[in-house]
Order: sequence, then C-alpha cells, then structure tokens
Amino acid sequence: MVIFYRRLPKFEYIKPESQNMLFEILSDNKNCSVYAGGTDLIPKLKKRLIKPPDVLIDLKGLNELDYIKIEGGTLKIGALSTIYSVATSKIVIEKFNILSQAAKSIAAFQIQNRGTIVGNICNAVPSADSAPALLVLNAKLNIKKKDGSRKVNIDEFFIGPNKTVLDKDEIVTEVEISEVPSSFKGIYYKLSTRGKMDLATVGVAVLLGSDNGRFSDIRIGLGAVAPTPIRAKRAEELLKGEKINKELINNAARIASDESSPIDDHRASATYRKIMVETLVKRAICRLTEVG
Amino acid sequence: MEEINIGDYSLLGKSIPRIDAYEKVTGEAKYAADIELPGMLWCKILRSPLPHAKILNIDISRAKRLTGVKAVCTAKDFKGFRWGWMPITRDEPPLAEDKVRFYGEGVAAVAAIDEETAEEALELIKVDYEELPGVFDPEEALKEGAPVVHDYRPNNISWEFHMDFGDVEKGFKEADLVREDRFATGRVITGFLEPPAAIALWNSSGITIWAAKQSPYFVYRHLAQCFNLPLNKIRVIQPFVGGGFGGTKNDSVAGDFCSVLFSKMTGRPVKFVYKMEEVFLTCRRRHNAIIYNKMGMKKDGTITAMQSRLIADGGAYTAIGPLTMYLTGCISTLPYKLPNFKHDAYRVFTNNPVGAAMRGHGVTHTRFAAEIQMDMMAEELGLDPMEIRLKNAIEAPYETINKVTIFSCGLKDGLLKLKEHPLWKERKKENKDKETISGVGISGVAYLGGARQRGYQSCAAVLRLCEDGTVEYLTGATDAGQGSDTVLTQIVAEELGLSIDHVDIQRVDTAYTPCDAGSYGSRVTALAGEAAMKAAKDLKRQLAEYAAKEWNVSSEDIVFKNNKVYPKHMPDKAIPFRKLAQIACYSGVGAVIIGRGYSQYGIEPYDFEKGIGNAGTAYSFTSQLTRVEVDKETGFTKCTDMIIAHDCGKPLNPGLVESQNQGASVQGLGQAIYEEFVMDRGRTLNANLADYKMPTAVDAPNIEVIHILTDDPKVPYGAKEASEGAIVSSPPSVISAIHDATGIWFKELPVTPEKIALALREKKKE
Ligand SMILES: Cc1cc2nc3c(=O)[nH]c(=O)nc-3n(C[C@H](O)[C@H](O)[C@H](O)COP(=O)(O)OP(=O)(O)OC[C@H]3O[C@@H](n4cnc5c(N)ncnc54)[C@H](O)[C@@H]3O)c2cc1C
Repeated sequence: MVIFYRRLPKFEYIKPESQNMLFEILSDNKNCSVYAGGTDLIPKLKKRLIKPPDVLIDLKGLNELDYIKIEGGTLKIGALSTIYSVATSKIVIEKFNILSQAAKSIAAFQIQNRGTIVGNICNAVPSADSAPALLVLNAKLNIKKKDGSRKVNIDEFFIGPNKTVLDKDEIVTEVEISEVPSSFKGIYYKLSTRGKMDLATVGVAVLLGSDNGRFSDIRIGLGAVAPTPIRAKRAEELLKGEKINKELINNAARIASDESSPIDDHRASATYRKIMVETLVKRAICRLTEVG
Repeated sequence: MEEINIGDYSLLGKSIPRIDAYEKVTGEAKYAADIELPGMLWCKILRSPLPHAKILNIDISRAKRLTGVKAVCTAKDFKGFRWGWMPITRDEPPLAEDKVRFYGEGVAAVAAIDEETAEEALELIKVDYEELPGVFDPEEALKEGAPVVHDYRPNNISWEFHMDFGDVEKGFKEADLVREDRFATGRVITGFLEPPAAIALWNSSGITIWAAKQSPYFVYRHLAQCFNLPLNKIRVIQPFVGGGFGGTKNDSVAGDFCSVLFSKMTGRPVKFVYKMEEVFLTCRRRHNAIIYNKMGMKKDGTITAMQSRLIADGGAYTAIGPLTMYLTGCISTLPYKLPNFKHDAYRVFTNNPVGAAMRGHGVTHTRFAAEIQMDMMAEELGLDPMEIRLKNAIEAPYETINKVTIFSCGLKDGLLKLKEHPLWKERKKENKDKETISGVGISGVAYLGGARQRGYQSCAAVLRLCEDGTVEYLTGATDAGQGSDTVLTQIVAEELGLSIDHVDIQRVDTAYTPCDAGSYGSRVTALAGEAAMKAAKDLKRQLAEYAAKEWNVSSEDIVFKNNKVYPKHMPDKAIPFRKLAQIACYSGVGAVIIGRGYSQYGIEPYDFEKGIGNAGTAYSFTSQLTRVEVDKETGFTKCTDMIIAHDCGKPLNPGLVESQNQGASVQGLGQAIYEEFVMDRGRTLNANLADYKMPTAVDAPNIEVIHILTDDPKVPYGAKEASEGAIVSSPPSVISAIHDATGIWFKELPVTPEKIALALREKKKE
C-alpha cells in the first residue's frame, strides 16, 4: 500500500512537569518516544516510517532544559534550546561561531524556531547540519536516566543512520562544549541545490588553530557522506603540526574524500559527493589559512 | 499606482490592486478544503504499490466491516466509465479496472466518518496483483516486444502528429551548417500550493460539488457522463483556487468521481483532499520530451530548415496529451522565419504517471531545443546570439508556413531593448571571485493567447444591473490565482464608466454562470475579456436609450464616465450613473436590465490533423536575458538577474502582467536547474517538497519586466497573453547563460550542480 502523510497514529501523550516524572515514565518499560520540537518526529509518525509509540513524552514542560549558558568557559546548551536561539546566541556567535553557522544553515526560520539542536543530534541522520560542527568542537552529550547519568563524546554517539548509543530510558539533557582558544577559526560549508530550505548533499566543518605558520590544531567534520556524521581523522593527522602549504592541503582534502563513504541516492551520486568533500575541505582550509 | 498609457481609459493600463486581495490576506477566502458540511464523510483512495500489474481480486469485506466506514468502492461501481480528451482516447477509468498502469494509481476508495477511519480502512482492503513487466522509458516503449500498456495501442504510441511544410531536405542542402542534437526537457510538475480537493453532495437536485478546479466545466461534463445525468443536474461551485498552471486542475481526478459516488451511495456529503505527496505521485505532470532536432543555417545566420522528432513520455493514460503534441509542432514556426519545417511527434505510453498540459504547454519543449541549437550554431559560425535572433525574427504582419497569422509582433523591439541593456552590454566583465564564473544568456520566443481546443470554445458574460447602479457580473471564467477576476472586472467597469468597486464578479457556479471552456492556454483575458467587453457594451446600449430619451439626443451620444452619464458636449448635464439605473429599472412596468456578450474572436476552423492554422487568437513575444553565477567546482548555480522584454500587446493591468512574468520565469528557472522527479522503474523517489527542488524566494533572481507595447486587432483592447511566454523563454536563456559562463552546452534539463561540476571536470581533463 502506498502511504502518504496520514493523521497521527493513536498514542498516549504525556507532558511531564519534572525530570523525576520524566525518568519515571521512561523507566516504565513502555515503548516511548521523546518529543522536543517534533520537526523530525511528527513527519515520521505521520508517514508511518516508525512504529507508533505507546507514549509520546513531550519535553516542553521542562522549562529548565531551555538554556544556553557559559560556565567556566564551557558552553552548555539545554535540550530544549531551539536551533534559532543557538544560531543567534551572542555567546555562540562570538566563541563557537562554527556552530552558529551550522544552525543558521538549517531549513528556514519556522523550523529553526521549532526544532532543537539536541533533536537534530538525537535524530541521527547523516546529513544533520549541526553534527559536523559539534564534531569539530569535540562536544560532549550529557545523558540522563532514572538513576544515573553519563557523558558521551559526540564522535561516539552516532552508530548508524537514525541510531545512537542512547538506551530506551535515557535522554540527552545537554550539549557541552569546552572553551575553544579565541584564535581558532571555523567554517561550515553546506552544499545543497537550493539556497535555503534544503538538506545537505554534503556538509563540511573545519576548525583550525594555527601557530607560526603551522597547523597547531585542525579538525574536519563531514556530514551526509557516510552512515553517520564523521571526523576525517587521517586528513587531520596529515596536517597537524605541519607547515601550512597548498600541496599539503590538497593532499589532506583528497584523504578526507577517501575517508568518506557516501552512497548514490536521489539527492546526489556518490561520485559527486566524494569530489565535493575534497573540494570543500580544500576550500575551507584554504580560506581559513588564507592560502591562495 | 503604476500606470501605462495604452489609450484613453480610466481603469485599463493601471495596476489596480487585486480585488480578492483583502479576502485572501485576511483568510476570509474559502478554498475547497475549508468547506465542511454537517454529516460529512471523508473519502480516501487506496493506491497501487506496483507500476504495472493485473488486478486478480479485490477483497473489501474487512474494510466494510470497520466501524465508521460507510461505503467502499472499486472500479466495478463505475460500470466501465472512462474519460479522456477525445472520444477515441477515453482510456482512463476513475479507479483501475483489470490492471494498474502506474505506481500510485487508484484501485479502491473508502468513505468513512473521519480521515483516520478512512485511512485505517484502506489498510484492510486486500488486493491480489500479478505483477507485469513494465516499461518506463518512451524510447524503450517504442521497441518491438516492449510491454504493452494499453491493448488499443499495441505499439504504445498514444498519439502522433506529422507536420510537413516546404521541403526540409532542400532547406538542409541550402544550408552551410546542419546540426543534429538530442534534447530532453525533464520531468516536472506544476507546483500549485493547493492540492486537489472537493466536497460532493448528491441529492434530488442532482450533483453539487465544490471543487478546486481551474476549469470547472471539464469536471462538469465528466460527471454528467460518468453518472449519466443531464448537465442541468450538475452543479460545480467554484471556491477560491490556490493555483493551477494546467494539467491536474483542468481535469478530473479519481477523488472527484469517488466522492460523488459515495455521496450517491450514502446520501451524505463527501469530502476529499489530496496530500502533497499524492499530488506528486499521481497527478498530471509535464511530459518529459526527448527531441531530436535538426537545423540548417546559412553562414550569415539565416535559418533554412528545421526538423524535429519528438518522443514524449505520456505515462499511463492519454489525458490532454494529443493537444500537447499538437502544440509542440504548430508553434515551432514562431518566432523566427522558417521556410521549411517538418515535425514528427510521438506521445508514448509508459508505466509512469500521466503527462499532460502545463503552463507553456507543448511549446516549451520544442522551443527549448530550437533556441539552444540556434545558439550552438551561431557559436560554430562565429555569430552573435543577439544578432542571429534579430536577423531571423519575424515582423508583423506575417504568415508562417503553416498559416499561423501574426498581426502584431514586438520581438525585434524587445530584442533591441535587451541589446542596449547594461546586463547585455557589460556582460564580459570580470568575475567576482576565483571560484565563481558568471554568464549571460538570451532567448526569444512566442506563445499563443486565447488558445483553443477542438470543441466548444466561446466565453460568455452576463451583467445584471442593480437599481442602485451597481453591477453583478457572471462569467464562466475562473481565476486560479492569476488575477483574471481583477482584469475582467476592470474591463466591465471601464466600459460602463464605473469605478471598480461598483462591479461585483461572481465565481463560477455552473447553475448560474455561462458555460466556459476554461482557464488554460492564456485565454481568459483574450476571450472572457472580449465577452465582458461586449456584455458591458450591451448593457450600456440599453441604458443609453433611456438616457437619450431623457435628454432627447441620440443614444450614440451618451457618455459614461466617472460614475456619471451625460450627453456628449454637455458634461454640465451629467447625472450619476445610479440615477440613470433607477430611471431605467423603474421605467414603465419595471425593466430588468441584463447585458450579454460572448466571444467571437478566433473561431475560424484550423486543421488539427496537419498542424495548419491558428490554435491561438493572438501571439505574445518574449525575449529574455538571464545572468547566472556558477561555482566552478561545486556547480552550484545562482541566477542573479532576469530581464524580460514582454510583448503582451497592451498590459491592461501592468502589475499583474509583471507578476505573471515573475512567476513564470521562476517556474521556468525551476525547470532549467532545480526540479526533476527522480524515477526508479515507475516509482518516484522524491515525491515531496523537500526533495523535489522547487526554487524558493531566496533562489529567485532580480526580475525586470520591460513592457513592449503592440496593437493587435484580434483581441480586446489589444491584450494578447501574459502568463506563459516567460516560462518558455526562461529555460533556454538560463541554459545559454550557463554556457556563457562554463563554455558547455547542456541539452538535458534540469542542469543540476552535479551535472555542471562533473561536466566542468571532464572539460578540464580534455
Ligand atoms: C521542512 C524541514 C526542513 C528541515 N531542514 C533541515 C536542515 O536543513 N538541516 C537539518 O539538519 N535538519 C533539517 N530538518 C530536520 C529537523 O528540523 C532537525 O533535525 C531538528 O533539529 C530536529 O529537532 P526537533 O526538536 O524538532 O526534534 P524532534 O523531532 O522532536 O526529535 C527528533 C528525534 O530526536 C529524539 N529526541 C529529541 N530530543 C531528545 C532528547 N533530548 N533526548 C533524546 N532523544 C531526543 C526524538 O525522540 C526523535 O527521535 C528539517 C525538517 C523539516 C521538517
């Protein structure tokens, strides 16, 4: 049967007013879905792409999860912070600019005001725009459940398309990003057919620290070119500590492209995506290092 | 208010704001999906998950038993009814009969008390299919032994046209350069915002249906045939319409027939609203046309002959396809002098969704091929693309080799304006950064206004004078969003010397409004406009007789202006129009004053078999400059500017003419570089608005419209056509701009970033 968008399936809807209540329900062993902005979840339910939950848990009753703050140099983004608030946050723009660039590139204002950064990550599609930026920022995710909590590095969080390390009774409460030296610069390139309101065919984030003409630190994050968002670690290794020069950048870009494993789909061919990884990694590093 | 002097008028030539703007902006305007009636049921359609399969059995028993389900239907309930554009091409049933021919074709339908129940019931219907080998490429479908889509067309040729004028072989011999190329125009859809929707009611008065249609008199006839009722028992009421652009909303959809049938079965009103994905998967699309084009040219750029072989993907049914095929050929002889022309068009059945009309109908395919090929040849011969167009452009009066007659033509005028435009003159300037290259392209095209199909073509208008001097205007024409209600009202008010708010236009209700062919082929202003003008003149003539009596002057000498009436040369005697209306209405026994008019332009016959004569009433001419910036590495293309020199004849409402050009050119831009259905064996992989890339506002360029004024005697006030020219001119000018930037000719639409990037890499290797 061909299924179009349908009315929502039937489920119980609960909007907990405290985290205790939330974790209580989550630990109840029912089939639950956590609902933040719903911009990924609701279309999936309407399209019957996922099994309808018994209980839909709306996080929006937990106002305490809506924050963006700095604590001892560390940036903390609560699970209810919208994409728009992250994109336009003064702290983020000044100290973690690449994340603001990534957030701004998502969809358009309506979705940005509804969807959350944490939702973008938990949905775990390879093309999630905030992921490459969070990867190069070495973000950590604070994860909680009824009687416990853990911290997971973002590069260990994704395990496949739509799959993360989260257990059924856990949620991500916060994204945490340690201070980035103020001399670091970053670029997020999103390649898409349209200028706005489009999904990434390829996403490339590069964060660069340079010192005396050398790459003191370099981190490359890639989106939409592998089963999960990834870091191009081998390319980074090639550059780290080396003198900044064009040839090396070209080689690193080629290696980054080798590290990607895109597929052919209706959005683009694997061939094009691989070439674009090379092109955009090179372009980003050249622009950041001002190498011609 | 923008104003262009097009004659001695009070309202025409002025950008009067849309008369429906307030209702639309405030949400007061009701569309089909907004309408609800007490006791209403919801209709949903079960659609085939296979592109080509025999239907062995349909078991509806479980669905019928579900609480809340009131009726279930299958093809059997329509008793063999099929519809189509011509009697011999009636091949489409409301629901698939013995086999399904495309992925997503309707096979059964349910009416239930709410949407959820109807959707749930669909899951309970069990259909046994036997999958058949499918054919998805029109060239494959023409091969010996290809799967047959319809038994009545064993060779899969749904329709063909052969037009042959002059002697192309001789023309090619006379040429210094002959080129042959293969072009493809892409799989695109109209992109209206409002999906098909209707609410149907069957009772002792017959059928009443509130339907989202741009040409309601099509569904009017289809329902009469399907349910075997006389036309006066079919009442189609037109709500506000959220865009049409041809194809789907000029036709009936499965939901129309099923909801009417369900109302008949249950005695309750029945509603359906298609989902956007349902639109993308199952509604009419533009044909993807493959064109083998051959052109002959002399060293000086003179075109000596053109021969086109067009193979169009017709999909699973015929729909209006024969007319599409006709239009791909009969207008190819415009807008350049063409002494020898041969055209062979094949519309081919495949197991894809149905190809049909869309804005720029037919013409956009062959004109794209011809424009690009002309530019390619100009390049080979070292000629300037502007000069080659100026050299070959026709001038009015002109008769083409297939007897299309042109009484006004602003093509040269437009091209000369573009030639002087800074965008063209300064096009060789430096590129803005090392990654981006820019280019400017040009095109020049023609389109028909007041288009005709083969059957009933006239438009009519009825004006009812109210005793307070206001006027009720009944028309059969539909404003699908293009603004025609405003222009038509302007015409009536202009003739009667009234301000615009004195005239009230009624949306179509087939119980009251006069029959009309429909809002397609840029025919509303030309033909419904003529009817409006004549009805107003008829009303004025009757009123003038009363006035003449009062003043004892000849009725010809009565002037209607500024809501007043006076004898010529005696403006001091003026009385309000309202006063005259009272005098007329209260005279004697009490007169009922009704003005009537119908269109007579463009009714001489034309030869549909051979492609001879005028399929249109008058012809618009559009030339366009487009500037693009192309990222050399990623292929990402931003269109920055479009300059459109548009000869619509006389712009009765310049603002509306401009917005039509803007909309059409951006829709054309979508077709050129963004939009495309990605197909896999009959399945559409990107049937949603995220993945089918219609350009958004941020992708739209700066658009400048230059009005080229001409005076055409064949249409009212000289207004020819203003909504389709620019969708024809847009793709070739965009592709020519991309060539100017990259040096590469792309011949298959859309030219996506991927295609550009890969082609540029190939070129670099060479
Ligand atoms: C029209 C449109 C355009 C879009 N464009 C883009 C785009 O350009 N780029 C892009 O990256 N995305 C895009 N998206 C996807 C989407 O908007 C984003 O991924 C958004 O960030 C999701 O956030 P949300 O709060 O709406 O998540 P939800 O839909 O509420 O949740 C998404 C998933 O995460 C889970 N989840 C949410 N919060 C938590 C939590 N705290 N702990 C554990 N699990 C949680 C949910 O259970 C669900 O599985 C688009 C979506 C739409 C509808």
